[in-house]
Amino acid sequence: MTAVQDGAAPQTHSGVGRFLGQSVKRREDARLVTGHGRYIEDVLWPDAWHVAFLRSPVARGRITTLDVSAAAALPGVRAVLTGADLNPLAKSFWQTAMGKDSPQPPRRLLATDDVRYAGEPIAMVLAENRYVAEDALELIDLDVDAQPAVVSDHRGRWGAARDEELVHPEYGSNVASTLPYPGMPTENPALEEVLSSAPHVFEERFHQHRYICVPMETRGLQARWSPDRDLLEIVSSTQNVHEVRSMAARLLGLSEVQVQARAEDVGGAFGLKCFVDKEELAVAAAAYSQQCAVAWIEDRNENLVAGGHSRTEDLTVTMATDADGTILGIKGHHVEDVGAYPTYGVGGNAGLAMMMLPGPYDVGQYFYSAEATFSNTCGMTPYRGPFLMETVAREQLIDIAAAELGIDPLEFRRRNMITTEQLPFTTPMGLVLETITPIQTLDQAAEIIGYEDFRREQAAAREQGRILGIGFASYIEGSPAFGAAGAEQVTVRMDMQGKALVFMGSGSHGQSVETTMAQVVAEELGIDIDDVRIIQGDTTSAPYGTGTAGSRTATTFGGAARIAGQKLREKILAVAAVALEASPDDLEVADGVVSVKGTPGAAVTVEQVAAMAYAGHTMLPPEMEPGLEAKHRIRNPPLMFSNACHAAIVEIDRDTGAVEIKRYVVSEDCGNMINPMVVEGQITGGVVQGIGGVFYEHFVYDGDGNPLTTTFLDYLLPTAADVPDIEIGHVVTPSNTPGGFKPMGEGGAICSPPALINAVRDALAPFGRLPNVQPLTPEVVLDVIDGTAAV
Amino acid sequence: MKPAPFTYEAPTTLGEAVDVLGRYGDEAKVLAGGQSLVPVLALRLARFEALVDLNRVDELAYVREDDGAVVIGAMTRQATVEADPLVARSVPVLAEATRLIGHFQIRNRGTLGGSIAHGDPAAEYPAVVTALDATVTVAGPDGQRQIAAPDLYDGPMTSTLSDDEILAAVSFPVWDPGSGFAVREMARREGDFATAGTVVGVTVTDGRISRAAISLFGMGPVPLRARAAESELVGADASGLDLAEVGAAAVADVDPPSDVHASGRYRTRVASRLVARALESALQEASR
Ligand SMILES: Cc1cc2nc3c(=O)[nH]c(=O)nc-3n(C[C@H](O)[C@H](O)[C@H](O)COP(=O)(O)OP(=O)(O)OC[C@H]3O[C@@H](n4cnc5c(N)ncnc54)[C@H](O)[C@@H]3O)c2cc1C
Repeated sequence: MTAVQDGAAPQTHSGVGRFLGQSVKRREDARLVTGHGRYIEDVLWPDAWHVAFLRSPVARGRITTLDVSAAAALPGVRAVLTGADLNPLAKSFWQTAMGKDSPQPPRRLLATDDVRYAGEPIAMVLAENRYVAEDALELIDLDVDAQPAVVSDHRGRWGAARDEELVHPEYGSNVASTLPYPGMPTENPALEEVLSSAPHVFEERFHQHRYICVPMETRGLQARWSPDRDLLEIVSSTQNVHEVRSMAARLLGLSEVQVQARAEDVGGAFGLKCFVDKEELAVAAAAYSQQCAVAWIEDRNENLVAGGHSRTEDLTVTMATDADGTILGIKGHHVEDVGAYPTYGVGGNAGLAMMMLPGPYDVGQYFYSAEATFSNTCGMTPYRGPFLMETVAREQLIDIAAAELGIDPLEFRRRNMITTEQLPFTTPMGLVLETITPIQTLDQAAEIIGYEDFRREQAAAREQGRILGIGFASYIEGSPAFGAAGAEQVTVRMDMQGKALVFMGSGSHGQSVETTMAQVVAEELGIDIDDVRIIQGDTTSAPYGTGTAGSRTATTFGGAARIAGQKLREKILAVAAVALEASPDDLEVADGVVSVKGTPGAAVTVEQVAAMAYAGHTMLPPEMEPGLEAKHRIRNPPLMFSNACHAAIVEIDRDTGAVEIKRYVVSEDCGNMINPMVVEGQITGGVVQGIGGVFYEHFVYDGDGNPLTTTFLDYLLPTAADVPDIEIGHVVTPSNTPGGFKPMGEGGAICSPPALINAVRDALAPFGRLPNVQPLTPEVVLDVIDGTAAV
Repeated sequence: MKPAPFTYEAPTTLGEAVDVLGRYGDEAKVLAGGQSLVPVLALRLARFEALVDLNRVDELAYVREDDGAVVIGAMTRQATVEADPLVARSVPVLAEATRLIGHFQIRNRGTLGGSIAHGDPAAEYPAVVTALDATVTVAGPDGQRQIAAPDLYDGPMTSTLSDDEILAAVSFPVWDPGSGFAVREMARREGDFATAGTVVGVTVTDGRISRAAISLFGMGPVPLRARAAESELVGADASGLDLAEVGAAAVADVDPPSDVHASGRYRTRVASRLVARALESALQEASR
């Protein structure tokens, strides 16, 4: 596939080079795996006051008593702040990506008058340490007059009493948002026509339960307001320091030059830390109002109960096919529970799910509608693959339809997938797919897992009473890079020694950015990777950016790094050309040396070039600017795509319903890989989260909105013992963006749930229908085997 | 998740520990491996004026043979029990059950006495104690006394030890030759507390079952004995059993709890199958 040239600079599309495309070992690992990572809790200021939040014990109710005087009087306590103290400080409260005017629930730092979910912060203690702060919490006199809560249960039955009890009376309705957007057509008559005339119509409602980001490092933020320096300093465990700065400045009515934010190592986030929520802002507000340093480290209990929740949705998919299984049309209706205070806007993911539901298929007619609903539960927050419900539902319905039509599920997919010949392909939503390879990845996954052989093995195993199944799922990973997120900048600066510092607005929280971006820059500059250092996570040094999220780092920062590197290389050659009295076109740079092509004797080191660029500027021609620094701010399309196919083989214990994953295969095409090992690490981590979501993790509320899974005793994460070896194959089709990279960070989590569920469904086929529920607990599975399932 | 303030006491002998505990009465709690107690304190689900740390009381850590029984000191680490040759030889099911407790890091800290005193109804050790008819020795202000297995638990996480008593040792009777044992459990993940589980022991004499014990865990407020099923087994031909029927009989009278992990109905169904599996394995071992 040929590359479109970016206008800004010439470029080459070599997939593999000295560093690029190599499985360079992660430079982060030496410190991280030896316990020398430095997280926010490792850098707490000695004079910081430690925060503990008093949180609502019930889902909904009126606060009748709130007396903090005894707590405030406890020795070691500096202050106990309530909503009455802090909320007036909040000048404005909205996330940059959503904009000031987009609808959202009424925002407040601390609850006053009423509470709207169990865990909502009501007061904050500032004490000399967290122990004393928690002692003080016990002294706060709180009475809440509980009221009936609006709660959805995990099987997707949304509360009938929907609009009788309002989560947010100010909002006027429990419906947070709907699709189609106002002004868009409310139906697709051509699709209705197809649905009423097609030979086959399949319709299923799929449910995805509540499961959540559980980073090893929880949230945390410390802030210090120094009136003398006119400065609010913030250190936060975040994916996006610039957003921390913007949110804090807006909240307190400060200008962005009065606020500095930075991050240390960030021990995972998965989406939880790409926005800034009320606890973090309350800490900043407390520091500002108390004129001191304040620190909050979220504990695991808080993280589970109030750290932001995800998934929790139903998607009904209706699909029409002809007699041969060719898809003629698809309709989706999506219902999401966004909790009380979703972290961004009104929180729904349907807007993007709507774009992506057709996936890698040519689906004919299409329509999508959605409704996001508030409830008295913890608010929705993005979690790796936030809109993955489209893949979870579509890939299951395909297996169900294929089975009913008697068509092999792989054959069904191949028949409907967009072929290379159809590219560029414009989807019903107007997305243009240019370089996807769904059939190639499907075929590769089938080959690696040995599909035909497995079917024989499965038949033999069934004879012996063993229960084996295989499942496939395919998807397109769409990486949203809307607005500023599609225009990231990288600045490369070479100082007198000829080594490069690379500044970027990314926020690595496990993505190996320090390694991969150094590979890109070292490749372009022709210097050693050890002579390149990535500087990120600091608003005082990084160009404005939107952090690391949405699978964009390789495509946006990577593309920008590549072009910035190219620009700087040109400058190096131009300076060297002066020194060597040659034309820049005749020069090349490698291993830190610039030489005349074909005349290796005529050479100068990059270090000498650097010295000349600064100290020897008088030797440079007058029109040449001294120094060695280049930047590039990229302009990427608002959505970029990769694709993959996942395949799983499971065996089920017929006495207990326990599922063992025997094999797990991924075939993916993320274009040129900067570092194949890092790509595989990202996929593996995502798949593990899918395994957790399908079989183990479930945040449960009772009917009154009380959280039941508040520690790791009941919120079950997959451990190494529950995860199989994950086998990965690659198809490499470069994208048309600089570098040929494609987004891939979330796909592991997006495609694994349906692949696993399909495998269980296939295994259970001889017994009966697997109900469309999640998680697939041993009990759900055993009910099918024993014929006691309540479908 | 920070505990409320407490005083820390670190006696070095059992006598001293009993004295210190007596001073605080029900305001103090004994600290063994901390694997259950520390999370409870950190979540402030309980608070005590003092913790009496037994980790320096060396006399409570031992495994020895004594008059047809294997006696194990309360502070013996679970990892030690797991690897002990005497346990492997004489009470093999105790070693087998140990491997199902959490992960090795937990077993390195967690103690035999801590698990048994804690009395989680889904824990393995209390079920082994119950199945094997072990005897617990406790030390208190008035000296030592023995508690037989059936009298050890009152309810979930409630033993019949009084607040001023320390569990000192557990005595596991060695069953006659021709015995076999097995433990089987269903847990959501590797290392989790059991959703449902069973410990089975049988002695086979001349082809007939002469002694049988079935305990169930995760199936009620305390570890249970399936006495009716056991008495059906005694005297039966060891080779002609309908294992599924025994399993069904073992759970006929239980009313297990429902929680976020499984319903009581699921627990009953699975426990009955686990009993069948365990019995099959125990009978095989008995006839070896
Ligand atoms: C992640 C994890 C997984 C686990 N999985 C399992 C599992 O699968 N199965 C299982 O059985 N357990 C499991 N446990 C619990 C573990 O086995 C504990 O070790 C055990 O329950 C308590 O033993 P301990 O020595 O740690 O006691 P501690 O936590 O120190 O004490 C527990 C209680 O017993 C009391 N106590 C302790 N020793 C004595 C004594 N000698 N006399 C009187 N009272 C005493 C204490 O006062 C306290 O109330 C798990 C724990 C964790 C953290």
